[in-house]
Amino acid sequence: MRRFSYVARGVAWRSIHNTVVNPAILVPSIVFPLFFLVAFAGGLSRISDIPRFDYKPGYTAFQFAFVFLQSAAFGGVFTGFAVARDFESGFARRLLLSSPNRSGIIAGYVLGALARWMIVGAVVTVAALAAGMNVEGDGIQLTGLLGLGLGMNFAAALWAIGLAMFLRTEQAGPLIQMPVFVALFLAPVYVPLSLLTGWVHAVSSVNPITAVIEAGRGLLAGSPVKVLLAFVLLGAAGTLFAAFARRGLASAERAG
Amino acid sequence: MHELVREFRKGPRAVDGIDLAVGTGEIYGFLGPNGAGKSTTVLMLTTLLPPTAGRASVGGFDITRDSAKVRASIGAALQEAALDPILTGREHLMLQATLQGLPSRRRNERTRELLERVGLTEAADRRVGGYSGGMKRRLDLALALVHQPRILFLDEPTTGLDPQSRAALWEEVERLARDEGMTVFLTTQYLEEADALADRIGIIDRGRIVAEGTPARLKAEIGSPSVEVTPAQKDDIGRLGELLAGFGDSKRGSNGSVTVQLPGGEAALAEIVRVLDSNDLHVETLQLHQPSLDDVFLAKTGRKLEGAGTE
Repeated sequence: MRRFSYVARGVAWRSIHNTVVNPAILVPSIVFPLFFLVAFAGGLSRISDIPRFDYKPGYTAFQFAFVFLQSAAFGGVFTGFAVARDFESGFARRLLLSSPNRSGIIAGYVLGALARWMIVGAVVTVAALAAGMNVEGDGIQLTGLLGLGLGMNFAAALWAIGLAMFLRTEQAGPLIQMPVFVALFLAPVYVPLSLLTGWVHAVSSVNPITAVIEAGRGLLAGSPVKVLLAFVLLGAAGTLFAAFARRGLASAERAG
Repeated sequence: MHELVREFRKGPRAVDGIDLAVGTGEIYGFLGPNGAGKSTTVLMLTTLLPPTAGRASVGGFDITRDSAKVRASIGAALQEAALDPILTGREHLMLQATLQGLPSRRRNERTRELLERVGLTEAADRRVGGYSGGMKRRLDLALALVHQPRILFLDEPTTGLDPQSRAALWEEVERLARDEGMTVFLTTQYLEEADALADRIGIIDRGRIVAEGTPARLKAEIGSPSVEVTPAQKDDIGRLGELLAGFGDSKRGSNGSVTVQLPGGEAALAEIVRVLDSNDLHVETLQLHQPSLDDVFLAKTGRKLEGAGTE
């Protein structure tokens, strides 16, 4: 267990260090959610005038909950890109060689992803507050929202790390990102689920991300809904993708 | 290592049943052309690649069952020094020390110590992206030594290095084996490197070990040394031939010299000089030729090592 924590600490340190000293890594992680926040909350704010749009804190908060969780998911995805890059450059081989406990490598990348997302999440939150976002949830509820973000980041990072370890090439980028992107945007992004119609409504209703986003919006508004379900879903996804990432690592070990 | 095999899908057997043992504190040279299976063997021994068949233990630990213990007892500098261009040399060493679980104070000490030993103290806080090839190799060696391993794997450590850096690395490898009792497994395609450094050599070709032993024994196995003598007076060539014929098979060269094989070894050299002197035969040059490892490779595989690569 000690060996696991040494390795996790080392890999996480490098991940955070490179994020901080290399703007090329950090800036896109921040720019994308900020762009979404500005484009959605700003450009589409009239959506809140639609009849039956009943989200009390307003459209900026409605979009913030989505962007906050989306940035968490994309933060995890970007970690997969870093893992693929490490395999292509050969640095992953150094990590495999230097790590007495190789599962610690996965944990280190995940910790790095969480730390990076905390920076991004903080920036997005400050931007939303500066834009006049209303927050009606209390401290515990907002901690719950943070927990959802961490869960989202954790699950997405494990998915991305696993796939990157299976494919071991930067060309895996679209394959890592696409399912997360599709799952996120097949949730009620612009309007509440009740206002969606047709196939989008049908898909959104069964999309597990929907429960997570609705729980996030509920916590932000101070009227929690589907919170337990959201955490159970994220826990299940995290467990599933942890096993997937471990298999990805085993595949990388077999390939040398 | 017993009957170690590595087969790649849709490819030949890169390693085809290797048996070998390396003693503690020994420098073992693994010599062969590109594509012979050297690096694949190292990847298996360093637990980076599982063998298809056979077994091997490193430092007393099985490479498949106890791979974590193997990794804890070895250091390795692989063919391509995979370094993170964003990290500095010092940060690389600190990272390596963290991965290996060195306590915080020891991490700093060991980093300082190794930077000094490989001559990178001044460049320690520069990003590795700006390092030269030689500096990267030196850092790679330092990284392999962070946790004071008992066994060191060096995969073609001097490929692409200038002669000065190569000599410095040779010196360090010799020092590690001599002063620290480290076992060194060194792969190389350079004959002079294996000859200069290795206590024993294994020659690998097409995944199989074709010869093994000390450099001297391998050379002795394939033939005796020879002496090439050029007389000062061209007219003496006939007399020289007659005198040298008494020491072994001799033949005249096109450059006006006579070469004689010495089946008894170079000990006969002194006697040759005495005979030439007592017969008042003045020589222009006298050269002793020892068989080279390339001759060994040629004798064992039918090909010269230089340019024998299959990659």
